[in-house]
Amino acid sequence: MNIERIRKRFIPMSETMLYILLSLREEQHGYGVMLHVKELTDGRIQLGAGTTYQSLKKLETDGLIRPTREIERKKLYIITKIGEQILTEEANRIQEIYKNLEGLL
Amino acid sequence: MKNEKLFFFTAFKYVVPADYERWFEELAATGWHPVKIAQWSSLVMRFEKSEPRKYRYVVDAQPTLKKDYIQTYEEFGWEHLGQMASAHVWRQLYSDERPESFSDAPSREARNKRFMMAVSVSLTIFLFATIAFAASALFSDLASSDRLQFGIAAGLFFLITVLLSIVMSKVRKNLDR
Repeated sequence: MNIERIRKRFIPMSETMLYILLSLREEQHGYGVMLHVKELTDGRIQLGAGTTYQSLKKLETDGLIRPTREIERKKLYIITKIGEQILTEEANRIQEIYKNLEGLL
Repeated sequence: MKNEKLFFFTAFKYVVPADYERWFEELAATGWHPVKIAQWSSLVMRFEKSEPRKYRYVVDAQPTLKKDYIQTYEEFGWEHLGQMASAHVWRQLYSDERPESFSDAPSREARNKRFMMAVSVSLTIFLFATIAFAASALFSDLASSDRLQFGIAAGLFFLITVLLSIVMSKVRKNLDR
């Protein structure tokens, strides 16, 4: 799939997707992603099994992450080049929001 | 006291996944637990009486089953009760906060859309069956008694098509739950 189409599908990104993608800068399986996101957000975001599974499938189908290997029937994933690019673009977008909101609080 | 109960057509009665889950959970709270979930459980489901339990039930549709699906749920602490067609039934004991399998709005909607897709496949099949049987009844050169039978079948299929479209619109109205 071309990058333009991926951009349209993923930007702006849901909080769930963003944190999953961010977690997968290190090789991780589904349950590990959940634990990592929980830690990053001080327990605020607790990903469910269904949400984690279907998000990973969606990211994999569109090439933002790829499976690496299997340990004890657990499938591990890592972010791809395209995934990193989308994540960076999304980070820039959020930074702009942050800047524009600065005076508010 | 009887410690076994049969429930009929439950999957057709509680067509919205969130309602089906609540129905399971209310029964569990009064001590009724399904013996197992299998292909025909949507028609007949057997429950046994034991201790009341605080279970969270989850119903999820997976038309194309990948091997890491069950694995992922189990790792998150869910017990797989079985599946009827592509609908998987999961449960988990809890004490404080009711655990969620779909933890944000987009993924809840995606889950409900998968159910809608499954219903729309059956709906299409029954719609074509209705048309095919009605055409045979009206335009074929069969004996009139045969044509009557085709006509009755067409009527029956039409009725099912109507019911399925009611189911679909009900699920659609509840996509966010």
